[in-house]
Amino acid sequence: MTIGERVRILNHRWRLDHLATHLTLGLFALVTVTPYLWLLSTSLKLRTEVFTPTPKWIPWPINFGNYAEVFDRAPFGTFLVNTIIVVCGILAVQLLTVTLAAYVFARRKFRGADILFLLFLIQMMIPIHATFLPNFLTLKSLDLLNTRVAMMLPFFASGYGTFLLRQAFKQIPRDLEDAAVIDGCGGLHFLWHVLIPLAKPTLVAFGLISLVSHWNDYLWPLIVTDTPDVRTLTIGLGMFVQQESGADWTLLMAATAFVTAPLMGIFLVFQRKFIESFMFTGLKG
Amino acid sequence: MRDSTAVVGEGRLSAQDRARVATWRFRLQGGGVYVYLLPSLALLALFTYYPMGFSAYLSLFRWNVLNPERIFVGFENYLILWREPLFWLVLRNNLFYALGTIPTTMALALFLAVLVNQNLGRVRSVYRVALFYPTMVPMVAAAMLWVWIFNPGIGLFNYYSGFLGVPRIEWLYDRHWALPAIIIMSIWKNFGYFMLIYLAALQGVPADLYEAASIEGAGPWRRFWGVTFPLLTPASLFVFVVAIISSFQVFDQVFVMTQGGPADQTNVLTFYIYQNAFRFWDIGMGATLTTIFICLLLVLVVVVFRYVGRRVYYEAD
Repeated sequence: MTIGERVRILNHRWRLDHLATHLTLGLFALVTVTPYLWLLSTSLKLRTEVFTPTPKWIPWPINFGNYAEVFDRAPFGTFLVNTIIVVCGILAVQLLTVTLAAYVFARRKFRGADILFLLFLIQMMIPIHATFLPNFLTLKSLDLLNTRVAMMLPFFASGYGTFLLRQAFKQIPRDLEDAAVIDGCGGLHFLWHVLIPLAKPTLVAFGLISLVSHWNDYLWPLIVTDTPDVRTLTIGLGMFVQQESGADWTLLMAATAFVTAPLMGIFLVFQRKFIESFMFTGLKG
Repeated sequence: MRDSTAVVGEGRLSAQDRARVATWRFRLQGGGVYVYLLPSLALLALFTYYPMGFSAYLSLFRWNVLNPERIFVGFENYLILWREPLFWLVLRNNLFYALGTIPTTMALALFLAVLVNQNLGRVRSVYRVALFYPTMVPMVAAAMLWVWIFNPGIGLFNYYSGFLGVPRIEWLYDRHWALPAIIIMSIWKNFGYFMLIYLAALQGVPADLYEAASIEGAGPWRRFWGVTFPLLTPASLFVFVVAIISSFQVFDQVFVMTQGGPADQTNVLTFYIYQNAFRFWDIGMGATLTTIFICLLLVLVVVVFRYVGRRVYYEAD
C-alpha cells in the first residue's frame, strides 16, 4: 500500500465514525430545537390555524398581529424596561461587592479568613428559594415591597462571584503587587489598574451568568411586586397567562416568544462568548 | 506562576524598599481588610444568615389569619407537619423530581459532551448552540411553551409520540403523568448547561492519553470507561452538587404548569411554602417549612464540604 492509499483509508474510516456522531448529534439537536420552533410557528399563526389534526409547521398567512395584540393587552414595554433596570442594577452592585471581597480573600492573610470565606461559599447553597419568606418579611418591615430595589437587594452580594474572582486574582503573581507597592501603586490603585484588567475574562463570564440568571428570576420578583409598573418580563408573562385563561395559544405564544426574544437574540449573536463564559465558570467551579 | 519571584525577587531590593513592602503587608493584615469585606458581609448577614435564625424563631409561633397576634406554641407546628400527609407527599414529590431529573440529565450531558468534543469541523458550534439554548429561555417561558406542547388534544408531544406507539396521555391533567411531564421539560431546559461543564472538563483531558489507549487496542467504549470517565470525576461531582441544589429550587415550572395539582401530585417544597405563606397566610407554618428546608440544605452543605467539596474546590485552587 502506498502512503496515499493508507491515508485515504484512514480518512474514510474517520468519516464513517463521524457520520454516526453527526447523525446522533443531529437528532438530539433537532429534538431540542423543535419546541422553540413550534413556539415561533404558533406565535405567527391565525387563531383558527392552531386547531389542526396534524401539526402545521409553516404559518401561512403569517400573522404578526398577535405580537401587537399582546402589547395592547399588557404593558410589555414597561416590563422590558424594568427587567433591564433590575438585571443591570444587580450586576453593577455585585461587581463592586464581589471585587472588593475577592481581592481581600485572594491577596491578604488575616484572622478568620477561612471562616468568613466559608460564609460566602455557603451562600451558594442556600438559594433565595429557601429563604424567600423571611426575606419577604424583612423587606416588608423595611417598607420596600413593590419596588425595583426590592427585586435586587438579596442578590447584591454573591458568594459565587466572590469565589470565581478570588480564583482569578490568585493566579496573578504576588510579586507584581510588591513591585506595584514600591512604585507607589498599592491597594485600591493596584486593584483597579492591575488586578481588574488582568481578571477581565472572569468578570465578563460572571457578568453574563449574572445577567442571564436574573433575567430569568421568577419566584422572588413574584413575591415582592404587586403592580404592573414595577414588574419584570417573567412576572408579566405569568400574569398575562392568568389574565388570558381562555387558552388563546397564538397570543400566549407571542407573549412567550417576546419574553425570550431579547436574551435569545443576544445569545445567537454572541454565542461563542456566552458558551465560553458558561464553560469557563463550570471549569472554575 | 509562583516562581516568577526572580523578576522582582526580594533579594534584589534595597533595604528601604524591603521595609516598604513589609510595612505594606503588615498594614493590610490589620483592620483594613474588614472594610473591603463589609458590604458583602452585611448583605450576606441580612439576606442569608439572618433569615435562617428568623424563620427558626417564627416557626415556634402560631401566626396566621385566624391568629394575627403571634402566640408562642413551641414545636407544635413541627408536630402538625409530622402528622400531615400532604407534607410527606411534598417531600416524596421532591425526591421523585430529583431522581427523575438528575441521573438522566447527567447521563445525557456527558454523552452529548463526549460527542460534541470530537473534531467535527464547523457544525460543532451549531450543535453547541442547538443543545445549549434552552438555558437562555426563562423557566416561566419554557413552562408556558411546554404547557402548549403537552396539550392533550392538539399538543405536539402526543402527536409525535403517537408515531412511536405511545398511547395518548393527558399529561398535566393526569395525576400519574403530571410530575413526569414537569421532569421531561426540566431535563430539556437544563442538560445543555451541564453539557458545557463536561465539555470544559473534557478539554482538560490530554490527547496523548487517548492515543496511548488506542495503541493498546482500546476501542471507543473502553477508552471512555478507562480514560475519560475517571478523569471526569471532579466535573461529575460538581455537576451532581449543582444538580441536587437546583432540584430543590423547582418552583417556576410547578407554578405555571400545574399549581401543584392535580391532587397535589406536583406540589414541591418551594411551592408548598409559597402556598402556606402567601395563599393561606399561615406565616408560622411557612416559617416552619422554611426552617426544615434550610436544615435539609445545611445537611447537604456538610456532606458536600466533607466528602465532595475537597476534591472539587481544591481542583480549582
